[in-house]
Amino acid sequence: MKEILENIKAIRSEFKESLRNISDTAAIMDLKVRFLGKKGKVTSLLRLLGSLPAEERPSAGNAVNDLRNTIEKIIQEKALSLRDEEFHRKELAEHIDVTLPSRGRVAGGFHPVVQAKNEVLKIMTGLGFKVVLGPEIEEDYYAFEALNIPPHHPARDMQDTFYFPDGRLLRPHTSPVEIRGMLKYGAPLRIVCPGRVYRKDSDPTHSPMFHQLEGLLVDKDVSIADLKGCLDVLLDSFFNRTLKKRYRASYFPFTEPSLELDIECIACSGSDPSCRICKGSGWLEVCGMGMTHPNVLRYGNIDPNEYNGFAWGLGLDRLAMLKYDLHDLRTLFEGNVPYLLSGRRI
Amino acid sequence: MLVSWNWLKEFITLPSNISLDEVTEKLTMTGCEVEGMEAPCDSLQGIVTAKVVELKKHPSKDGLYIVTLDAGGNNRAICVTAAENLNIGDMVPYAAPGAVITGGVTLLSKSFDGITSEGMMLSADEIGLPDVADEFGILRLPVETKPGLDFKSSFGLDDVILDVSITANRGDLLSIMGLAREIHALFPESELKDIDIKDIDGNATGCPVDFKGVTIEDPDCLAFSLGYASDIKIAPSPLKARIMLSMMGMRPISNVVDISNLTMLLMGQPSHTYDLDMLPEKEITVRLAKDGEKITTLDGKRRSLTNDDLIITSAGKPVGIAGVMGGENTEISEATRTVALECASFAASRVSRTSRKLGIMSEAAYRYSRYVDPLKVIPSLKYALNLFVKWKCAGKVYGNFTLVESEHPSNVEVPLRAGTLKRILLWDDMEEAAGILSRLGVEKTREEDGTWFFSVPTSRPDITIEEDLVEEVGRIRGYDHVKPRIPGSLSEQGALDEVSEAQGALRNVLLARGYTEIVTYSFISPNFRKTLMLPDDDIRAYPVALSNPLSPEMSSMRTTMLPGMISALGLSLRTGWKRPIRVFELGRVFLRTQLESADILEQERIGGLVYAGADSRSPYGDSDVDDFFSVKADIMSLASVRGVSLEFVQGNEPFGHAGQKADVLYDGKKIGFLARLKPAIEQSLGVNSPLYVFELDLDALINKKLAVFMDVPPYPAVYRDISLLVDKSTSSINIIKEIKSIAGNLLWDVSLFDVYEGENVPSGKRSLAFSLAYRSDDKTLKDAEVEKVHGHVREKLEKLGYALR
Repeated sequence: MKEILENIKAIRSEFKESLRNISDTAAIMDLKVRFLGKKGKVTSLLRLLGSLPAEERPSAGNAVNDLRNTIEKIIQEKALSLRDEEFHRKELAEHIDVTLPSRGRVAGGFHPVVQAKNEVLKIMTGLGFKVVLGPEIEEDYYAFEALNIPPHHPARDMQDTFYFPDGRLLRPHTSPVEIRGMLKYGAPLRIVCPGRVYRKDSDPTHSPMFHQLEGLLVDKDVSIADLKGCLDVLLDSFFNRTLKKRYRASYFPFTEPSLELDIECIACSGSDPSCRICKGSGWLEVCGMGMTHPNVLRYGNIDPNEYNGFAWGLGLDRLAMLKYDLHDLRTLFEGNVPYLLSGRRI
Repeated sequence: MLVSWNWLKEFITLPSNISLDEVTEKLTMTGCEVEGMEAPCDSLQGIVTAKVVELKKHPSKDGLYIVTLDAGGNNRAICVTAAENLNIGDMVPYAAPGAVITGGVTLLSKSFDGITSEGMMLSADEIGLPDVADEFGILRLPVETKPGLDFKSSFGLDDVILDVSITANRGDLLSIMGLAREIHALFPESELKDIDIKDIDGNATGCPVDFKGVTIEDPDCLAFSLGYASDIKIAPSPLKARIMLSMMGMRPISNVVDISNLTMLLMGQPSHTYDLDMLPEKEITVRLAKDGEKITTLDGKRRSLTNDDLIITSAGKPVGIAGVMGGENTEISEATRTVALECASFAASRVSRTSRKLGIMSEAAYRYSRYVDPLKVIPSLKYALNLFVKWKCAGKVYGNFTLVESEHPSNVEVPLRAGTLKRILLWDDMEEAAGILSRLGVEKTREEDGTWFFSVPTSRPDITIEEDLVEEVGRIRGYDHVKPRIPGSLSEQGALDEVSEAQGALRNVLLARGYTEIVTYSFISPNFRKTLMLPDDDIRAYPVALSNPLSPEMSSMRTTMLPGMISALGLSLRTGWKRPIRVFELGRVFLRTQLESADILEQERIGGLVYAGADSRSPYGDSDVDDFFSVKADIMSLASVRGVSLEFVQGNEPFGHAGQKADVLYDGKKIGFLARLKPAIEQSLGVNSPLYVFELDLDALINKKLAVFMDVPPYPAVYRDISLLVDKSTSSINIIKEIKSIAGNLLWDVSLFDVYEGENVPSGKRSLAFSLAYRSDDKTLKDAEVEKVHGHVREKLEKLGYALR
């Protein structure tokens, strides 16, 4: 018994001594074998237990087991801390410069007009409007006649509208889609019709091609109040704030009454007399609209005695220009990549 | 249209608490947008009227005069002037030292060789209205002017000019009287005054005119009237009239012309003055021109007419283009003794067409194009003749007018119901509505079963139906009174159409994959055909052309998305951009259905263009550089996000690199292409690295089926590799197809993982290595089972002539 206790003491101090010289995980495994392996010092000690008298065995066994547990625990801890150190060294060796450029492609840039269109579509589908598209090469009938535009109206001039030799034309507005929509779906009806439109014009604020979004709601007992409600939501949602608005009387052949909507200047809200955007007026004209003319409903095969409705035509390019602070309309259709990426916001 | 506020105030009296700003604000809100306001002589200060009482030459300076002025009261002033036009007794505008003239210049005393000039006498230039001058020198005022008056207010220089935009339906507002009526409707407490027009003796004897008559041969002449004046003395108009004309943007010419213009500005009725002695015959016929008929107009231009143009003729000869411009042959001159004054009404569309066609945008044509009330011709004629008398411009005027009408105009009756008002304006006070209409000159006539009837005057042809009356009431009352509401019927689910829906999804994919979205014109130059080397039998080589393009570069409708993207590339490179360029566009192409056909198909497309960049260096080497297969991955991503499976086969686009082009198939049909452009095209575009383009029909990418998910396979797959030597011309997809057909059901997937050419591979061959995944839905496959089928695949491939490696 005494011999065993002395052995334990000797092994303990030898182990402490050996541990001091350990500096990597391989060495600690060797140490583990040397003390706890099959032929290890602690294992050999355990074997000695059999030679002890039976009454001494339990206490001697406990003492050896204590030793074994202590050594095992120390080795385990040491092994872990050595492994951590080794990983850490390795990681430091694998240092990279995180400020190097990213690899592969990063996202590109949206076109502001398409973005504006999609935003408006999202708002209007939320209000229960269906999206309907129509042809860009249009017939005179849908583009003018069915919209109550008289035969010799200036808009029908070769100076203003692009024509094809067969008499067809490039639609100068998205309004023809109203007629096509009414004829296809009947009443009640709520549609929005986005798309390219064309007019013979070219200067910084006019492009021969631009984008409109037509809206039409036909139902029973529709009021100007409904028109204002829809347009208020459209513009407030688009610009993400409640805007001051004014609904002015105006004139369009296809609506009666006709109105025009001005919103407060997006840039200055009317506070800057030399504002580039509103020219100091404080107001921006954004949308023509009105109650659909009974003749137009008739052309759409809808009985104006039963139904009425309202319609509007919104310039999507203008909305995009206001929202994204764009200056020259024509630049938008040149496909200038550096320019389009300058406003990258996805 | 420019409008004098002073003149307006002669006909409308507003309560004193209503400011000009309030008036313009209300005009704007009710349909007459006031786009500007200007007080042209605002800067003038301290200028008084003065009489020339003494005039002598400067003692030492040649060409200078010393003028003594009586500036009212006991004020005497000395002015030195170079003006030659003054006489003793003349009245002049005088600016004493301290007074301010045009441009905000403050006058001082100034010495001219020993003589001090106390301020100065003013010319028209110095009051800011150069057109008002009727002679060179100091502006002489009417002799009856009293000295010492404030010049600015006495001669209407304190006026404010409004720039009002009048909508196309409101011809009645193109005059002082029309606008006064409109302002009256806006302010119930206002008072509207009529013009004081003195009657002209209709039975005046001694009329030198033996006029045979007027014949209207075309109903587009609604009314035609002539009045006469004799003993004409051509002279400048009175100063106040010249100032008014000048303020309203018209140049004073002479009394006869100015009378015509002032009448038009006031009444909205254009008129024309003929030198009666120059008329070929004392007869006028209004008719359509003959094709090719010629007239020299007042502006000296020779015009060729068509039988769409309405003209005024005398003895068969054109003497004017109806409503547009008079002829040179009857123009009044210094020698004119007797005139015939024409006030007429012509159909708006006729005048509008002719004036646009001839490019004559005269004030008269502008008004006629919007409509001139036929009932206004006689009052306007009388007003003008009154001025002839008042201004002593004619010795005598004659009241025996000639008036011919196509049809005597009469008021129209239009109904209005409370229910309609309520429906549109959510408001139905019929009494108030009738009050508004009455102020507009639209009077209630009767009431029947709750419907009120209103009589609409001939000046308002724009009001014909009930909705027109609702608009009048609604706008005058103000749309601010209608509170917005969200239509209750908007409960139904809205939806994108399938094209917009697909476009949105595709766009998001390409934006995320590093593309820039562009929008380019739908019209292109016909030269694109040469650029893209399109052969004669290619339908894209035959775009539809516009009849009236803006320019040849924008004359054809695009048949492919390529030209827009290529020009975007060119522009981007010209800006000096050196980084990669990836663009895409969503839009339509316009294709003939057949080579010769006029039927056009509008097809939605998605097009893309990828350029590695002028400088594609990267710290990561070439792995970042775009190539055919990186663009293919973009297309596969488009297909993947739409749940569509696309197939690539060797392609045949004429503009594609002979060895690097693919047709893209959906369901076995070609829906587009992916190609590197021909090196010759790349070279002509001046790019130094390959240019990849693709274009797909959107139709194939509109997902008509819902994506359906499948259960995770319960048993694991077992993998085997196979490596083959094949001819370089053999497409890998064909081998995959072969493998699939040989292996049958147990083969779950085949993927190519290595392509090798070079050492140990004979030339003309390449080595392809595939990984085959075998799997069963029923059990875990045993090695023996896999070996059996895989062995079969190897065997069969060998039999087919592929060398296994």
